Amino acid sequence: MKLRRTLGFSRRALLQFRHDRRTFAFVLIMPLLMILIFGYTFGGDVKNIAVEIVNQDTGLPPGTSTLLPQGLFLAKNITKNFDRNTLSLHENTNIDDARQKVHDGKAWAAIIFPANFTQNFLTTLTTQPGTAHPKVEIYLDASNPTISAAVIKTISHTIQITLKELTTTLNKTQIEMPITIEQTYAYGGSDTRFIDYFAPGVISFAIMMVTTMITIILFVNERRNGTLQRLLVSPASESEIVAGYALAFAVIGVFQSIVVLVAAILLFNITIIGNIFLALVVILLLAFGHQGLGILLSAAAKNEMQAVQFIPLILFPSILLAGLFWPIESIPSYLQPLSYIIPLRYGIDAERSIMLRGWGIGEIWVDILVLILFALFTLSASVLLLKRKN
Amino acid sequence: MNVTCPCCGERGKVTFERSFDTTTTVIEIQKLTKTFRKFTAVDSLDLTIYKGEIYGLLGPNGSGKTTIIKMLTGLLQPTAGTTKLFGHTLPCKSIMNDVGYMPQDTAIYIDNTVHENLFFFGSIYGISKQRLEKREREMLQFVDLQNWRDSLVSTLSGGMKHRVSLACALIHEPKLVFLDEPTGGIDPELRATFWEYFGSMVKKGITVIITTHYMDEANRCSRVGLLRQGKLIADGRPSDLKNNTRTNSLEDTFLALAGRKKP
Ligand SMILES: Nc1ncnc2c1ncn2[C@@H]1O[C@H](COP(=O)(O)OP(=O)(O)OP(=O)(O)O)[C@@H](O)[C@H]1O
Ligand SMILES: [Mg+2]
Repeated sequence: MKLRRTLGFSRRALLQFRHDRRTFAFVLIMPLLMILIFGYTFGGDVKNIAVEIVNQDTGLPPGTSTLLPQGLFLAKNITKNFDRNTLSLHENTNIDDARQKVHDGKAWAAIIFPANFTQNFLTTLTTQPGTAHPKVEIYLDASNPTISAAVIKTISHTIQITLKELTTTLNKTQIEMPITIEQTYAYGGSDTRFIDYFAPGVISFAIMMVTTMITIILFVNERRNGTLQRLLVSPASESEIVAGYALAFAVIGVFQSIVVLVAAILLFNITIIGNIFLALVVILLLAFGHQGLGILLSAAAKNEMQAVQFIPLILFPSILLAGLFWPIESIPSYLQPLSYIIPLRYGIDAERSIMLRGWGIGEIWVDILVLILFALFTLSASVLLLKRKN
Repeated sequence: MNVTCPCCGERGKVTFERSFDTTTTVIEIQKLTKTFRKFTAVDSLDLTIYKGEIYGLLGPNGSGKTTIIKMLTGLLQPTAGTTKLFGHTLPCKSIMNDVGYMPQDTAIYIDNTVHENLFFFGSIYGISKQRLEKREREMLQFVDLQNWRDSLVSTLSGGMKHRVSLACALIHEPKLVFLDEPTGGIDPELRATFWEYFGSMVKKGITVIITTHYMDEANRCSRVGLLRQGKLIADGRPSDLKNNTRTNSLEDTFLALAGRKKP
């Protein structure tokens, strides 16, 4: 393989992109648009969920306990601590009316503190647990899982905060709270958002789509316009042609990924805790493998029209089965084995592990190995394909 | 010099610099046949072409001219028969440095400029940058596109694209050139220029295989081969062919050979 000749192929392809501004824009805009659209719609936290709140807590009559502050209304304290950004609270005095509001779709949930809420809390604290627990009733419209999850999360989070406050004010005696939830995070944290999970996937997905589609179209044109014939009648070897294009796609891929990452960092402040170079290596492997795939597919397409027909064929399995939006565990179990044959799965998995968990080659070597094998297979198959004569 | 070709394994004298005489064989074709499914596009072709010739392949549409050229350049695998270029049996990559090919369809990158195309095809042949710059100037002058050097090919007219394609086929100074209808869609003035240039090429010992539908061009060939339904029905110098059939023009010669009367 001659380096100069190989570089000649890369140079020409890159110059073509320089002239073809539209395609060039597509390379950058497609992933950015995905990040923007999905980042803003899925990514942001749910806000302003209409919630009815009914507080019937009668609190603690004065002199009942020496343990808790005089005149404590625990329900009131919890209500005060609710995140008003997430929940848009409406105080209601009537339980039935509150429930009706949820029933009519005017509110997503009704939170009801019964009359003996604080009383029961005290009982649980002082006597053996197991008798009368303090109870919060939540009447929920769970037709939207994202919203109901957000409601539940907010409530349990708020109760935790309130109990913590209470412990700190009661510094005279060490009391044991009936519930303590302690969370520590292996990876990510309470502030990890959908966008953080999504960004590494989009980068992998974008490089896969762009490389595959552009390669198919480039090679369909090479065949149709007869330029490929010219190359085959030259001293250039088939492997030089494939390597030349691979180099061009490597340049495009790295450029694309960097732009997308920088944009995602600036716009969404996404977290990257791992090694960015390892992340780029994965991108390159994805690009090489899918370039080979593109060349192979191009042989099955007679013209650009037929090439475009490959889009859904590649797009849907990658979106649905490779874990781009949903974890692979959440797809039906009989479909899960399919995901193993989609190379993008390994790319997305590797990028997430690197960027979110900060893993290195020691942990993701399986992904890397699969991607290397995939690239070796498709690239050598495409060299053989180009060598095949009619 | 006795060497073994690393590519086709041919043994014996392998040298491109031969003495300047038309008895030196450049192409040796034996029983070359190509069938597409049941259809025979080229039927047992035997032909020898010598150094410094302009060999014209003539024949009606679909008679097999392009198919022959594709087999001679190694693009198509023959169904039967062999081809030797410079003594090497095809397929053989090591001789391709000396071969130039202009396909029938324009076959250049339309999303690149004229300059980028010329430099790209030149770089494949490992020509140095300086040499390439010189060759580019010569070629642009030859096809009269000096003012279009930095234009995108997609913005050129059909004939202009064709001219770029010809320039790309010749940029590396090949010793053997296959030109599949190089003058199709070219205006008469430029056609004359092209033939002058082809003349100067063969004077330098370059061998040219050309297909054409123009009879005046056929007359300028050192030899012509007439194809009909994949068979070579006549092969010889234009004047000999005319004498043999006692006709005044090549056109009449072909009609006579095809067994048709002049209308
Ligand atoms: N790939 C192919 N598959 C099937 N048939 C083919 C193929 N290529 C060529 N042919 C047939 O072989 C015959 C010869 O074609 P060819 O292109 O060699 O003709 P030609 O002499 O170059 O014609 P023209 O003057 O129009 O360029 C035609 O009948 C054509 O239909
Ligand atoms: Mg033809």
